[in-house]
Amino acid sequence: MSEDGSVRVDEVDGGAVATATRHFVEALAGADWLRALLLASAAVALALGVTAVLIAISGKNPLVAYAALVRGAVGSIDRIAFALNKSTPYILGGVGVALCFRAKVINIGAEGQIAVGGIAASWVALSTAASSGASVIPAAIAAAALGGAGWAAFAATIRLTRGVHEVLCTLLLNFVGLLLVSEVLHGPMGEPGAGFPQSPLFKRQAWLPNLLAGTDLHIGILIAALAVVACHMLLWRTTFGFRLRLLGASPAAAAYAGVSFPRCAFAVMALAGGLAGVAGGIEVLGVHYRLIEGFSLGFGFNAVAVALLASINPMAVLPAGLFLGFLEAGALAMQREVGVPSSLVFVIEGLTMVFVLCAIGIGIRQQRV
Amino acid sequence: MDGAAIIEFLAASIRIATPLLFGALGGLLSERAGTFAVGIEGMMLAGAFGGAVTTLLTTDVGAGLAVSAASGAAAGLIVAVATAKFRADHMVTGLALNIFVIGLTSFLLRGLFGGQPPVMQLPTLKSLPIPYLADVPGIGRVLFHQPVLTYAAFALTLAISVLLAKTQTGLMLRAVGENPEAAFTAGSNPVRVRMVAIVVGGALAGLGGAVLSLQEVGTFTDGMTNGRGFIALAAIIVGRWMPFPTLLGCLLFGGVTALELRVQGWDLPVSSYVIQMTPYLAALAVLAGIGRGARLPAAIGTAFARNRL
Repeated sequence: MSEDGSVRVDEVDGGAVATATRHFVEALAGADWLRALLLASAAVALALGVTAVLIAISGKNPLVAYAALVRGAVGSIDRIAFALNKSTPYILGGVGVALCFRAKVINIGAEGQIAVGGIAASWVALSTAASSGASVIPAAIAAAALGGAGWAAFAATIRLTRGVHEVLCTLLLNFVGLLLVSEVLHGPMGEPGAGFPQSPLFKRQAWLPNLLAGTDLHIGILIAALAVVACHMLLWRTTFGFRLRLLGASPAAAAYAGVSFPRCAFAVMALAGGLAGVAGGIEVLGVHYRLIEGFSLGFGFNAVAVALLASINPMAVLPAGLFLGFLEAGALAMQREVGVPSSLVFVIEGLTMVFVLCAIGIGIRQQRV
Repeated sequence: MDGAAIIEFLAASIRIATPLLFGALGGLLSERAGTFAVGIEGMMLAGAFGGAVTTLLTTDVGAGLAVSAASGAAAGLIVAVATAKFRADHMVTGLALNIFVIGLTSFLLRGLFGGQPPVMQLPTLKSLPIPYLADVPGIGRVLFHQPVLTYAAFALTLAISVLLAKTQTGLMLRAVGENPEAAFTAGSNPVRVRMVAIVVGGALAGLGGAVLSLQEVGTFTDGMTNGRGFIALAAIIVGRWMPFPTLLGCLLFGGVTALELRVQGWDLPVSSYVIQMTPYLAALAVLAGIGRGARLPAAIGTAFARNRL
């Protein structure tokens, strides 16, 4: 990773910091692209091997099932568009989680932040006048970002002022966020007379524009790619990014250098929450065109899986998120065609995560979460 | 609420606290030995599944309970190998286990029964009044009219309390959680102690899952633990990593849930969704109230490696 060498030491001075920085750079030097890619591929291959056994146990032919999975993922333009749309929230959520994990802030609240972001975007989309034109979309996305950031900031505040571990704060708030969606759909934002808890359909000008005529592909994937590049720049080219990396590498050295953990942790959680919120906004504006109960179910865990598969490297979140999106799109088709339950995706995901974590633990990749 | 309603409410609180207590005691063993127990949720779900499916296939509740403990232990073994042997991050490994078990149970529930989840209506474990004690007015109804696994959970609290405080094994377990290097120097094997603690804890959490599937509802549904593992984690923190205070923590959250179920019938001006949030918000509020006063086992979350001594 060539950009690792460009960590700027001139921002801070003091011998201890310089030493810590050198160790830090050395530690990261072990995590070059090729090794990270090989490791991720090996973990995925192992997981696919284990799940093949499960498919065989359920009385189906794993090869037939996997062939259906590949066809379902990339078999046609429509399937590819579907998979790209699926990947979008995972990439946006995952890149925020990756930044948090860099600073050893275990924010796993993407699920709740996505839910709240979706509510905020829906509220803007439903309450603006029909005459407001296309400005509805940026306003709704901004509201989604604010909603997600606010939800994350709430967890961060409890973490920083009361010392409750962020894993518990964010997890417990996930459940509350999901229930909040149900609450607004059974109350102010629900569609009267609908059999399912959902909001009325948004007005046409609040729908995300299509990227490819004739398919469902919306511009969300572009927003996700932009976010990935921005987070990459933030992590490797700014003082704030340096602080995050320093906190992750050595909290003691960071403290010595005057880096404030509370300030950085709060900022990175709010940022990750904002990105997750945007993911929620895109999901309601681009896929469903309305708010739906449970629309964010499982997204938060997927975001964590994507961040890990990308070895918490923002740039690598893009391929990792795409992989998961295509895997899930393929699995849904596999369920339809071969009758193998699509919940297999979670098995593959969980196993891949465990394998990657084990590899990090024994130092195959010199980097800790 | 009148007297009878209060007695009924207290009895329900204890019943609802039972799965939490099994999970929390399992997590407590793991955490006192130095491993964060974020995977309890997955271990409980594995136990709920193993217990329900075995009981469905064999119609033998005893076999169901045995398999639920074994399923939880197997889930624990994954965490044990990853964290103790491979020094993987405790928190994220626990989360990965939760995802894995959600997927695996959902897959097997369909895959084992030809593509569709089977219809499952298992007889739930009936309450077992203790002779004489059950007739005591008030507390007899609250404490001694419970199903068998609830009594077992209380007995287990006592057993683990004695184990940790009074036995050589308990001392070793705590030593590994506080200072694994010192424990290693004194001749114990921290990696093995931690692995055993996680696997035994997993078996207990698995039984907690069986309480849900076999004692409470008599069926298995996807993701039926629904965050109870995380509430159990909160109860451990509330109980400051000690068995009996943890039991009180579980009763507190059981009480909140029991109240939640009753409040829904009271025709309050808030919706049922807001009421459903209360256990999670209560856990958050209690944890925030305790604040930094809680003292973790000193070596929790750290990896032990011989060659780093």
